[in-house]
Amino acid sequence: MKNRIRELREGKELSQEELARKIGVSRQTIHAIESNKYDPMLPLAFKIAKVFSKKVEDVFWE
Amino acid sequence: MNKVNNKSGNVKYIIARILYIHFGGIMSEATKSGWSRLAISVVGFLVGFVIARGILEQEGLATWIRVLAALLPVVPFSMMLWEIIKGVRSMDELEQRIHLEALAVAFPVTLVLLMTLGLLELAIELPPEDLSYRHVWAMLPALYFGGLALARRRYQ
Repeated sequence: MKNRIRELREGKELSQEELARKIGVSRQTIHAIESNKYDPMLPLAFKIAKVFSKKVEDVFWE
Repeated sequence: MNKVNNKSGNVKYIIARILYIHFGGIMSEATKSGWSRLAISVVGFLVGFVIARGILEQEGLATWIRVLAALLPVVPFSMMLWEIIKGVRSMDELEQRIHLEALAVAFPVTLVLLMTLGLLELAIELPPEDLSYRHVWAMLPALYFGGLALARRRYQ
């Protein structure tokens, strides 16, 4: 699964640490998701999409 | 009095840091009191273990005293495991997955080692002091930490 979290995060001028704090995960988790090493579960994907005011399918895709 | 409190605080902090390094961030989401309870239970286990060994090496003690002494470290050890379980529950989903993968490595490898030990025992006489089943329990945490290192590397 691919995602555009890095692009959206940088657009909002958020660091990985800040994004991680907003959704209640570790910075390592954000890094792993951004570099496509880990696919988040649905609740976390929804949380991430919500931070950027996007739909899940606008952030993640196959 | 303050000096004594500071000293015990420092000791707790040092033990907590050592545990943090060894458990690979297992308690990253845990509260400060969780850290203290984990540190206390580890110290309790070590102290209990030394006391139990000391008692069990004495001769002429009643069986119930020997049994009590043998079980003494089990209580703080169980407390330590409970704190670790709480720590894992408070982790985020990736950290939990890493610990699950570490177990998925440690458990089958321990099975292989146990089976190998059992089969070898059928074939030859193994030195009981070096390869006793009493030492086997230490394989699981050792392999678990190995599994943690492997899983962490995968998601770095």
